Amino acid sequence: MTAENRNNSFVTLLLYSLSFLLLWEWLRPLKQLTETGNIHVFLIFLLISLLLSYLGMPIAAGFFIKIVFIIYSMQFLYFEGSFFMFDWMSPMWSDVKMNMQLVLNSQWTELTSLFRTLLFFILLWLMSYLIQYWLINRKQIFVFFFMTMTYITVLDTFTTYEAENAIIRTVTAGFAVMGMLTFYRLLDRESFQRKAALSRRWMIPLAIMILVSVSLGFAAPKAEPLWPDPVPFITSYNTESGEGEGGTRRVGYGTDDSRLGGPFEGDNEVVFTAEAEARHYWKVETKDIYTGRGWIAEETDARLSFLPGDEVPIHSLIEGIDTEERTSTVFMEKGYQHVQYPLGIQQIQAGKSNSFEMNPVTEKIYSLETSRPAALDTYSVNYLEPAYQVADLRNITELGSEFGNQFINRYTQLPPELPARVKELAEEVTAEHENWFDKTRAIESYFRSSGFTYDQRDVALPGQGADYVDEFLFYTKQGYCDNFSTSMVVMLRSVGIPSRWVKGYTEGEYRSLGEGNARLYEVTNNNAHSWVEVFFPNVGWVPFEPTQGFSANVDFVFDTTPSGSSENEPEEENEAEPVAATPDQPEDKGSTGPSGISQIWAKVSTFFYEQWEWLLGTAALTIALFFLGYRKRYMWMPAYYIFRYKSKNNDEYIEKAYIALLGQLDRIGLKRKSNQTLREYAAYVDQFFSSKDMRRLTSYYEQFLYRGELKDGTWNEVKQLWENLIKKTTA
Amino acid sequence: MREQMNPTIETILENIERVMTGKRDVAKLSLIALLAEGHVLLEDVPGVGKTMMVRALAKSVSASFKRIQFTPDLLPSDVTGVSIYNPKELEFQFRPGPIMGNIILADEINRTSPKTQSALLEGMEESSVTVDGVTYRLEKPFFVMATQNPIEYEGTYPLPEAQLDRFLLKMKMGYPGTNEEIEVLSRAQKVPPIDDLEPVINLEELRTLQKEMKEVFVDDSIKKYIVEISTRTRTHDSVYLGASPRGSIGLMKAAQAYAYIHGRDYVIPDEVQYLAPFVLSHRIILKSEARFDGVTAEDVVNQVIARVPVPIQKAVK
Repeated sequence: MTAENRNNSFVTLLLYSLSFLLLWEWLRPLKQLTETGNIHVFLIFLLISLLLSYLGMPIAAGFFIKIVFIIYSMQFLYFEGSFFMFDWMSPMWSDVKMNMQLVLNSQWTELTSLFRTLLFFILLWLMSYLIQYWLINRKQIFVFFFMTMTYITVLDTFTTYEAENAIIRTVTAGFAVMGMLTFYRLLDRESFQRKAALSRRWMIPLAIMILVSVSLGFAAPKAEPLWPDPVPFITSYNTESGEGEGGTRRVGYGTDDSRLGGPFEGDNEVVFTAEAEARHYWKVETKDIYTGRGWIAEETDARLSFLPGDEVPIHSLIEGIDTEERTSTVFMEKGYQHVQYPLGIQQIQAGKSNSFEMNPVTEKIYSLETSRPAALDTYSVNYLEPAYQVADLRNITELGSEFGNQFINRYTQLPPELPARVKELAEEVTAEHENWFDKTRAIESYFRSSGFTYDQRDVALPGQGADYVDEFLFYTKQGYCDNFSTSMVVMLRSVGIPSRWVKGYTEGEYRSLGEGNARLYEVTNNNAHSWVEVFFPNVGWVPFEPTQGFSANVDFVFDTTPSGSSENEPEEENEAEPVAATPDQPEDKGSTGPSGISQIWAKVSTFFYEQWEWLLGTAALTIALFFLGYRKRYMWMPAYYIFRYKSKNNDEYIEKAYIALLGQLDRIGLKRKSNQTLREYAAYVDQFFSSKDMRRLTSYYEQFLYRGELKDGTWNEVKQLWENLIKKTTA
Repeated sequence: MREQMNPTIETILENIERVMTGKRDVAKLSLIALLAEGHVLLEDVPGVGKTMMVRALAKSVSASFKRIQFTPDLLPSDVTGVSIYNPKELEFQFRPGPIMGNIILADEINRTSPKTQSALLEGMEESSVTVDGVTYRLEKPFFVMATQNPIEYEGTYPLPEAQLDRFLLKMKMGYPGTNEEIEVLSRAQKVPPIDDLEPVINLEELRTLQKEMKEVFVDDSIKKYIVEISTRTRTHDSVYLGASPRGSIGLMKAAQAYAYIHGRDYVIPDEVQYLAPFVLSHRIILKSEARFDGVTAEDVVNQVIARVPVPIQKAVK
């Protein structure tokens, strides 16, 4: 007996350990994907919880230990000083009280880290209890395993988390737990003897099976995914927390934009870290000559010099509009000699020995140290954050004469060989609108739909003679920021709105809180970006963002009294739709035209893209109906059975029909114990229905089953009895 | 819907009931054993009407009835018969013992020595007895109803396991209920009714019944069910030695007989379930710790029946 007990407790320990591994898989990605730190504290808590439950600690004692651990960890994580000074107690308590208040007011985003940690502990506590329940009471853990698997695969697909090893670990641990639990469930049910011998006969094949299947799965060649990675769509949809855009086709920030197009790979290398009070894009330079293939800037040797603290000679905003003074600080990681700055820059603060030079055409600022080009380690920029009055913007319908031809020509320049249909399209899109602002917004939102897809990989490089914009607008409709921004500028210019193409970086990814109101953002090569600035004579340059899934964080102030075009709410900026995955398309399609299959593919993908809401809704509805139908199958199964068996004239079918009837009776709650004979059960059923049908039907079935055949001529009566009974089950 | 009993059997049962009140089940089981050509072990205290029932049974089927009272000093030859020298004929003449009958009541079989017991048991198994080197065949039908005192009583020689296995059924008679006992008293005031009992069938007809009984169909699924029950008694926790294959055969034959007297030509699981305790429990030897815990062989069989699933679909070949 003692040997068996020891064996048992070892097995239980093993089960707990494997479940711990499964739970661990839930915590692993947190560090990488969220702001959660100190994962080990939670792991230790899980370990303690499972250990307590394994040791069968009395509930009160376990409760006490866990509470002490939680409080100690929170003190350790969030408070200075020794645990035993107890001076942390009142702030902790007041924090919890405040958070309770927030919870009652549903101000979820305001909750403090301390309270979130507490909630997380409680969640883990519940999980450890559930694990115990599944392992010991239910002896079933498939649900948990399945959820773990789903969690990991979803993370792997939609985030940067690489789950290759996690899946192997989960499969191994999960199968081991499920296999062992199945065995013990069987033992329980059948009350077998000689458990030791049996368990050896079960566990060894189980181990071999897991080992073989995992190593086979690991070693076997894996098919390429049928659909391209959906991640870019999802991530571009959610710039707030997800990955930024993949930048440009070159690695990092380049200067030559004279030939745009072609796919590129992302690069996670950090360019700089910024401490910013507000989210804003980082400009590097602007370009204003579109060649039909890319962007160039007018060559100039002119350089405007200025010192740190001087006013920067860039005047993007007209004086007098609403602005707010802000400061951002940049900590460079890569040795670029140019300066990234936000729109509305006023001054740059840097070391005494530094000075700056600016190219007046591209507005690119170079940093110098003792008059030689040098990279800055750190600098901060003071800038004015504009809040554009939409009413003002809507006033503009043309450029006043005070802006000379030179200005107009510069910012409405287009190559003469630009296909006319680009202009026709722009006019068509903007036809309903009078003023520049609404026209610009119309073009901007045109890219948010109309079959355009965000993609970094399957992007065509225009062939000889093809126009970069024309091809994107009318043909590929698939590309990244350069495609979108260039196309928008070209369309704007074709309807006479002065605009320019801006290069730089997005705000990057939020990393942690900085000092004061500031937050730290990390900007990588993936965050390299391009967008559009439009000139409004009474306001200055206004940035717009045509690229799907991005937001330029521009503050448009709409009148409180709606002025007739309420559809242009600023929130639209963020409402880029997630887009169905687009199939591979040949890269040379620009010059040769699509082949048959890719055309069908394109149609299919367009269909999915345009109808995705519908499809999703239909799918959800179908699943819901299916589930409902399954749950309520006792309502309709009889009809199916009657349809299926009524016309049969063969004795063989009595068995299937009778078994179906038993299943149906079981579903409505008349359960037959496995040791109950059909006669006893029939009597029980008849008592329930107050009839004799089941006994009569059963006696016929007995004849068929135990005698081997039915008497001739009874089949019709059998059918009648059977039909009566199965109809009763739905009554 | 009640099944129609075999009319002949129904008459025999009614006949027996005229002398025995409220013991229809016991009478039915005895008939099952008679039809299945098995023997019955009745474990009960004296005076509950065992003899009366066997005599009624014997009379109903026109069989010769013999009774052997086993005592500690009974010799094998007292059972089988003995050869006696006849001075007139100048040769040994065989004088048959009480075993040379159709229906034998072996009273208190566990009171006699194993040697004498084995003389009876040889007859039961081989349908023949050997006296002085000569083998005499016993006339068929040959049906032994042995009674034994509960083993705990003093002065008994418990039957060895191998010999218990030879009995098809073991059952208890039990005391009659209050009303039935009053009825017994009333009958005792009159002439014993056993004397005017009329035979229902003759021996030839009985043999026909026995032959017909063998034709009752047993489906493979039922056979599998029977074997499953026997097998599970062997692996049960409390069991030292489980039911033998002879037990499985016995269970099948008894079930056939049961189906037959109910006028059905095939066996259903209900019969197996009903008969299993009577057929199997005396063939099971419990572990001593289980006996100390108060577990009985009937408990074990009932537990096994509760666990083996009833076949409700054709056996997959």
